Order: sequence, then C-alpha cells, then structure tokens
Amino acid sequence: MLSFTSCIELIDDIKINNDGSGTLKYTVNLSSSKVKVNSILALDSVNGVRVPSISELNERIADFQKKLDAKTGISNVTIESDFEDFIFKLRCDFTSVSALQAAIKDVVRDELRDKNVPELDAIWLNWDGQKLVRSIPEITVKKTTEFQQEDIALLKQGTYTSITRFERPVDHFDNGSAQISANKMNVMIKTNPHALSQNTSLLDNTIYLTPLK
Amino acid sequence: MPCRKTHHFWTTQSILHHSSKIRGYFRIFASQSVEPYKVIRRPYFQLILALLFTSSALDVFGQAMTEVNPTTKSETLIPRDAVTVFSLNNISLLQKISLDDLVRYEFMEEVQQELFDGSTTGKTLKDSGIDFNQKLNVFYGKGQNYEVSGFTLGIKDKQDLFVVFDDFEKEEDLYPGIEFYSSYFNHLFIKGDAALLVRVEPNMDKIDEVTDSIWYARGNENPYYNEAYDDFDMEGDFEFEEIPEEDTDPTDDELEEDAIEGFLDEENILEKNYYELRDSVQVMLEMQYLSALCEELFVDRVNLVNSDSRFAEQLTHTSEGIFYLDNSRNLQKAEGMWYMQTMFPSLFEDMKELYTGNVILGDLILNQASVEFKMEVRYGEELGSIYQKMNDSKFDKDVLKYIHKDNTAFFSYNVNLREAYEQAYKVIMPILSSEKNARMSTNVLTIELLNEFINKDALFGTYKGSMFGTFNGIQKIKTTKIEFSYDEETFEYSEREVEAEEDMPIFTVGFSTERADIPDKVLKHLSRLTSRFKNMGTYWVYEKAILDAADLYMINTNGLFIFTNDADLAMRHANGYGKEALSKKSAKRAKKSGFMYAHIDWARAIERFPRDFFSDRENEIIDAMRGKTGTMELTSSKTSKEKTNLSLVYNYQGVYDNSGKYLLDLLNSIYVISK
Repeated sequence: MLSFTSCIELIDDIKINNDGSGTLKYTVNLSSSKVKVNSILALDSVNGVRVPSISELNERIADFQKKLDAKTGISNVTIESDFEDFIFKLRCDFTSVSALQAAIKDVVRDELRDKNVPELDAIWLNWDGQKLVRSIPEITVKKTTEFQQEDIALLKQGTYTSITRFERPVDHFDNGSAQISANKMNVMIKTNPHALSQNTSLLDNTIYLTPLK
Repeated sequence: MPCRKTHHFWTTQSILHHSSKIRGYFRIFASQSVEPYKVIRRPYFQLILALLFTSSALDVFGQAMTEVNPTTKSETLIPRDAVTVFSLNNISLLQKISLDDLVRYEFMEEVQQELFDGSTTGKTLKDSGIDFNQKLNVFYGKGQNYEVSGFTLGIKDKQDLFVVFDDFEKEEDLYPGIEFYSSYFNHLFIKGDAALLVRVEPNMDKIDEVTDSIWYARGNENPYYNEAYDDFDMEGDFEFEEIPEEDTDPTDDELEEDAIEGFLDEENILEKNYYELRDSVQVMLEMQYLSALCEELFVDRVNLVNSDSRFAEQLTHTSEGIFYLDNSRNLQKAEGMWYMQTMFPSLFEDMKELYTGNVILGDLILNQASVEFKMEVRYGEELGSIYQKMNDSKFDKDVLKYIHKDNTAFFSYNVNLREAYEQAYKVIMPILSSEKNARMSTNVLTIELLNEFINKDALFGTYKGSMFGTFNGIQKIKTTKIEFSYDEETFEYSEREVEAEEDMPIFTVGFSTERADIPDKVLKHLSRLTSRFKNMGTYWVYEKAILDAADLYMINTNGLFIFTNDADLAMRHANGYGKEALSKKSAKRAKKSGFMYAHIDWARAIERFPRDFFSDRENEIIDAMRGKTGTMELTSSKTSKEKTNLSLVYNYQGVYDNSGKYLLDLLNSIYVISK
C-alpha cells in the first residue's frame, strides 16, 4: 500500500542504553493521504495488486507483532494501528543491537517466505559501547528500487526522520546533515523517502559518545 | 500455461474421437500457451478495428471510385439470429477521408502488420482485397442454445483477401454457389462478391444438458464423484507432493506421444470419459447449429435484412454507420427467462408480447465539426404507454440554480414516477392476475394490498423520480492530518491535528421533492444518533462521511433534496448559484430536451485533471489531448407511445476538414505518445 500512497511520513527512533540494550520505535504516518488510502481500501485491486481489507491488515499486523515478540532478546512489542488517520506505531525493547537485527531479519525472512535474502545479511547497526555505526537495512533500499517511477516520484513529498538517542552525551558524529539536540544526547537526520532511494547512504552515521564516567 | 495433463487430455480425445480437422484444432490449442480466443480472434478483430478506423473518409479516393453493383451485397449474409448489428457505410465514409490518407497514420502501421502477418512489404489496407464499395457489418446474437458472432464484407479481390485470411483452409462446398473455408472455430463463406465470417458457440448450459443426458443414459455415475475421496482422512494432516515444473513446454510431437501412451493406458479405451464426451457434444452441437444457420441463410435465403423490415429500412440510411439492437429477442432468449418460461408459460407469452417491437435503431453521422450518434428507441404500444406516462414530466427549473456555469459535466433526468406506477399497474397487473398459479396469486394479492395501504401521495411526493447531477472536476478539499512536531531539547515528538488539503472529485446529486418535511424528519433523527450529523441552518453536514475524510452536505430547499461534497455550494449557495448559475442558453437546451439531458465538457475536464493523480506518461497523453477535445451532449425527444429519440453529439474545436479526420488525428496522437 505504501507504494500507492503519495505523502508518507516515516520516523525511526532508536534509543541505545549504555549497556547496549534499548528501545526501537518505528512510526508510519499516512494521515495526509487518508482520502487516497481510504479510496484504495475501497477497491479490490490496484494495478493488478490485490488490496487487503482492514481486518486482513489487522491480522497481518498482529501476526508480525507475535512473531517479533517471540524472538530472543526482544520484549514488550506493541503495535498501535490507527485506521482513522492511518498512523502505525511499532515499539519494542531489545537486549542488544545484534538481538534486534537478528529478530528483524528472521521476521522479515518469514514474511517474505524466502530464506535466501542476501540483503538481510548486512549489519546496519553496530555498537561497541563508545560509538554507534548505523545505516539503513539494504532490503529497504531494494524494495524502493522495485517501485515504479511514478511511485518513486510520489515519495518525494514524504519525509523520513531518523533519531538516535543515548543515555550520555554525544561527542561528535560523521554525517554532516545530522542535527544534535540541545541536551546533546540525541541525533536526528531528516530526509525524504525519494532522496533516500536515490542515495542510500544519506542516513549513514557514526556517532561517537563521550566516555562513560 | 496449461499443465501437461491437460495437453494429454485434449490430444487424446482429439485423436480418438474427432475428425482430422478437429484433431488439428485441438493439437494447436494444446501446443499454445495462450488462450484459444487470442489465437483465433486477434487478426480478424484487427481487421474490424482497421475498418472501423476507416470511420472517416475521403475526397480524392472516394470520388475516384466507380460505383459497382455487386452480385451479392454483404448485408444479405447477416444471419437472422443476429440481435445486434453495427454496419459501416464505407461509401459514405470514404468520401470523408481517403484510404491513402488513412494508411499514412502511424497507428495503421501496426494494424497492417497484424493483417499481413508482421511484414507489410509495402502492403496496406488497400491491398486486403476488401471491396470498400460495400458495407462492413459486424454482428452478434445470443439465443437460448448458442451465440453467433462475426462480420460480413464485400470482396474486391479474393486472392488478396486470402493474404489476410491466410490461415483459412478450403473445405468441401456444401451449398451451391457458396465457397466454404475454416480456421479453428471460425468459418468463412463466400457468395459472389460478399463474404461472411462467422463463429457459432453453443451455450454451456446446453452442452451440459446434452452431455448429462447421454452420460446418465449410458448408466454412468455422477462424473464429479471421485472414489479417492472415500479414503480421505478429514481429521489427518494434509500432505502434498510437490510436482516439479517442466523445464520446457512440450512440443507437438511430445504431446502426440503422450496422447498415444494415454490411449494405451486407458482401462476402457472404447468408452469416453465425461469430459471427452462433453467436448464431443460441444463440437457436434456447434456443427448442428452452424448447419442450421447455413441452411436458413443459403438454402431458404432468409437473412436479417429480409426478415426484419426495420433493419432493412435502417440500411437505406446514408449515414456513415447504422446500429440495430433487437431488445425483444434479447428478452425472449435471455437465459434468465428460462425459469419464467418453464414455471409461468402464459405469463412468459404475455411478457413477450409486451416487449414485442422493442428495438433500438441508431445512426452514426460524421459532420463538419461534430460526430453524432442518433438513436431511436422503439417499443410496443402497451410498454410505450408506461414510458409515455413516465416521461411526461415537466422540467424542474429549480435544478438549474444549482448547476454552476463553469461545471465540467451535468445531467438532468425528468420522470413522473407516480404516473408511471399507475400506468404500469394498469398494464402489468391484468397480465399477472391472469396467471393461474398459486404463487403468482399470492404475489398479486400482496401487490394489490400494498397498493391500497401505502400512502402513494407521500411516497411519490417525496421521491418524484426527477433528479440532476453535476461534476465539477477535482478540487482541493479541506481535511485534517496528524503532524509530528519535535522538541529541540530532546527531539521527543508529539502529535497534533492540523488542517490539510487533498484532491477529491466534486459532485452534486439532487432529487425533486414536494415533501421537504419527510427528508427533514430523517435528518433530524440522524443528528440525534451521531454528533457528526449537524444542522447548519441552510444545510446539514455529515462530517467525514466520505472516505472518512471529507464532509457530505445536504441541502433541503426549493423543492430539492441535494447531496454534495462541495462546501462552497452548501455554505455560500444553498439557495442556488444566482448569477453564477448555468447560462440561459445552456439552461434552455436542457429544458428543451425530453426526459434526459447530459452535457460533458471534455476540454474542461482534461484541464481539471489533477496532474498528481497520473504518472508522467499518462500526463503526456493528457497533454496531447489538450486542444483536441470538445463537448458531448445527450438530448432526448418527447416520448410517444411508439418511440423515444436520443441523440449524442460530440462537438470539437479546431480546424479540420471533417470529424473523421479529427477523430483519426486524436487517435493517432494518443497512439504515438503511448507507443
């Protein structure tokens, strides 16, 4: 459905605790396209692609939540679905970034019903206690390259916000487009889904923290 | 791709049970990875398409052509079973645009390549052997037993014609003076200078009926019952064996080998299974129906022209094309009528009589700056009396106040449901009452009681039957969206609802009513049920009623009950647009029309298409159409007991020799851009 939607807002928000555990929040906001989304949901199919019903979407969301919650190192998984404004919020706690990545890989592989997805082998989060190296999963980029040109053009109107939070102040970071919050503990990068599909390294960042006292 | 098992089945049965020709058909089908329809029909539809494109014709070529009197006219080969016919008057067409001009269009290249099997080698439609001095007639008919479709045309040069019809094989001539050719399930008959290409397809119900009859008469069990189901454990786990896919499609030879193996493997090789029998029945029925059609056409010399004087008269018109649709036969032979025919035979006969004479006749006329499609809807006197009463309704002038002068499209529909109801009651109730049947008597009694008890004044006063509608293109409408705002200190975000705009088609639909109090009662009750339903004084609003985002407005005034999503109309023009309403000239045309009027401004519609809704490619096509579009107007005459006339006129702007060239230019622009 995302590929049929003109204006989309994505927020990925990850908090890394000093011990490497943390919380991931992922938000999809389609409220500015709700007329279009509602009109799509009223159809059986669009461009030959079957449109799921709201109950089917709810089922799939619940299934995703159940699968993720069952993974080692993942807990407190919640997904809020607002089918009035079309806002979807995922939240989960993780014991380590490697546990988070492994869980996401497993669930995505299961969802795609394909065990052989090489893009999932990549590491997009790396935490050594002093610095965080982050990028975006290659699978996301692969999906956007599969979009039709006109769908990609529509994504230009969207926004993608990536926020990384820590328990102690940030010393410095590599990505020149990133901003640091006034309390020095959070880093944010804003772009749009189209720009991201054209340049996947836009969100790449290595964030160095001040030494642990 | 059909599975190998299917190939095996088709080929086996073809070898066992059919003539060599039919066997050939099945082998070809079996080896094709596409549907038979695509194999069979495409080239001939391309030909029809090419000839329909000729719907615009010449000064040079037409005048140069010499009028000849063919020995057989193409229209005399139209079977009587044809219920719908579209006939192109090539002579008239070719006076508007020449074949020389036509074949130069880019889109014709593809059509001609299709006709001449990919390589035109300098050949054009002109080399197809078709006699453009004769009419081209495309027909279709569906009866209770079979469907018949095809076309008839004149022949100038038989040799050239068979370059186009190159997959047809000569068959034994069955009727004196008639040459017979076949290709798959298509049959070509040539009589003198005219040809009939026809396809007869038995209806599935008929095939099943005959097959079942033979199958059970032979002492067979239910063909759909499978003994394997007896051992099926419904409680157990399901296990499926994966069947590896074939690397390559089987060749014709492989298929034949499979068929022979299958033939030898069969336990009872002399007994057809149900599906083999069914296919044999289908082939035999097709032959039987085709034979009956040919007997009637070539031996009895009965065709649609000499069996229906209305069609014969229509053919005398000098318009560029004529249209014929016999609705009464559609009713009589409709599959759905089978129940009525069986259960209530006398009622069926009465209904048939009621529908006698129900026919639609049409003319396509290419004028200097417009294309016109005139239709005459004819019916029998009794049915006509209902239509006449229904359409005898005064135009509701109040609707004009609510149609904006800059609208994209609008329609008005004026009927008097009360009068129509009373007349229908008078005509139909005696027919229903005469049926000696307990069930029908109960229905008649129910209708009579309802007629007595229902307050018809209130019912038909609330909904008189007249209505109007407008479409004002796509507009930005106010909606709300959720916005995330970030705190600079922590980048924590919070949600807030803000105003937004989205594209939405703007429409208005209104009904004439004498009882504003009744819709008002409904609205008041609804407002008690939900706070989203509000009385705003001059109008009502149902918030977020459309797609959970846009408001729906209701205006109950001036004898009209209006639904719209146009906030401007509801908030500022609840009593009408005043000076911004439809111009007097346009209003006069709408008022002058009979029970129906419609107007579409294509140029304005295209201007108002939101570019965001379409891809870059689609926008290019839309851009190509800008300046090459016009207006479309549907008008109707006063309804009499015998007929109602309808006229659909497409007017265009720009300088063109005639509308034929205009249409071809428009088609060509779209073709070139979308190529």
